[in-house]
Amino acid sequence: MSHLSEENLDEMIARERATERPPLNSWQTIAAGLREEGMIRGPAQGRWTAPPWLRAAAAVVLVAGGIAFGRTSASRGPLSAGAGDASQPVAQSVSGKAVSRTPAFRSADEAWETLNRAGAEYQRASAYLATINSGAQPRADSASLYTSRLAALEQVMSATQSALEQAPRDPVINQYYLATMGAREATRQQLARPAGFRLTGF
Amino acid sequence: MITDQLDLKRAIAGDERALQRLWSQHAPHIDAVVRRLCGDLDIAADISQEVWMQIFRALPSYRGDSQFGTWAHRIAVNRTLNALRKIRRIAKLETDIEDDSAITENDSDRTFLAESIEQAMTRLSPGARAVFVLHDIEGYTHGEIGEELGITSGGSKSQLFKARAKLRKLLAHLVDESTPVAGKEHVAPV
Repeated sequence: MSHLSEENLDEMIARERATERPPLNSWQTIAAGLREEGMIRGPAQGRWTAPPWLRAAAAVVLVAGGIAFGRTSASRGPLSAGAGDASQPVAQSVSGKAVSRTPAFRSADEAWETLNRAGAEYQRASAYLATINSGAQPRADSASLYTSRLAALEQVMSATQSALEQAPRDPVINQYYLATMGAREATRQQLARPAGFRLTGF
Repeated sequence: MITDQLDLKRAIAGDERALQRLWSQHAPHIDAVVRRLCGDLDIAADISQEVWMQIFRALPSYRGDSQFGTWAHRIAVNRTLNALRKIRRIAKLETDIEDDSAITENDSDRTFLAESIEQAMTRLSPGARAVFVLHDIEGYTHGEIGEELGITSGGSKSQLFKARAKLRKLLAHLVDESTPVAGKEHVAPV
């Protein structure tokens, strides 16, 4: 029986050494293990990731739509059971027109994760905008700005409170109410702070 | 392969994107060594998962004394050999190493035509394959192999000689049918 020469074998070895093959597992498989052991902090990455500004804008639209929805539902009276598909609520703009339909989530956990993420982004965006405003305006104007903001937040509080009376166990409305309450408290504190102090977060 | 220090810090802090970047950058090489040492894709996939878990677990202890790829590669080899020992693939490595199992030809070997060196390596005994992969492909010295496998340097050399002889036999038909090596009149002794 013939044999390959040592040189030929060395050539094949060199080719094998330089050969790259795809990984044996997908990242999702590795990430699942890391998440189980707590080595990944934060929510799972989505397949589609938007730039931060777009996520913040989406969060604002979500909150505004939710408030409008709360006001509408408050004026209409209690929601009757089975009036709509709870898994696919329609978000509404201030004008009352349907602007988007939320995607169908696979589980309550997934929906909560999305909601929390959107809420966090909204708060970060609000904090950033508040910082810009407070730095760009003189003290007197800043005070005026925060006073106006506080008044607006009081109205939002009133709207969400009305919505809660109609649907006290609705998790989305509860989320809006708590977020608004946090923002109102931060604004109150900002108004009470001395001149030159910049708001950096809620 | 240079790994961004910022990515390392972020990965240690649990940033998934940074962890994924490290994995994407090094998985082709790390998984390749796992695959070669195992000689079985399913087993290799399982062990590779364990290997990456171990690499990321150990990340906080990485001091940057060597390149990240070198450090991770060392973990991959250790972890793979340990896993193979556990599943009894090389449980008797120390005794195998002294016998002629690497070169012993059985009936199936006589009719086996390897399409690639990777395929041919699957016909080596686990111990011989480990020595061959570590020395000829991964560039380990016989001393380092001895430490990894718990054998003597001489045992490693002997096993390598036998592994190469078997591979030359299993792959002979490829050269008989293909073009000769540049500058060589005779590529394979008959």
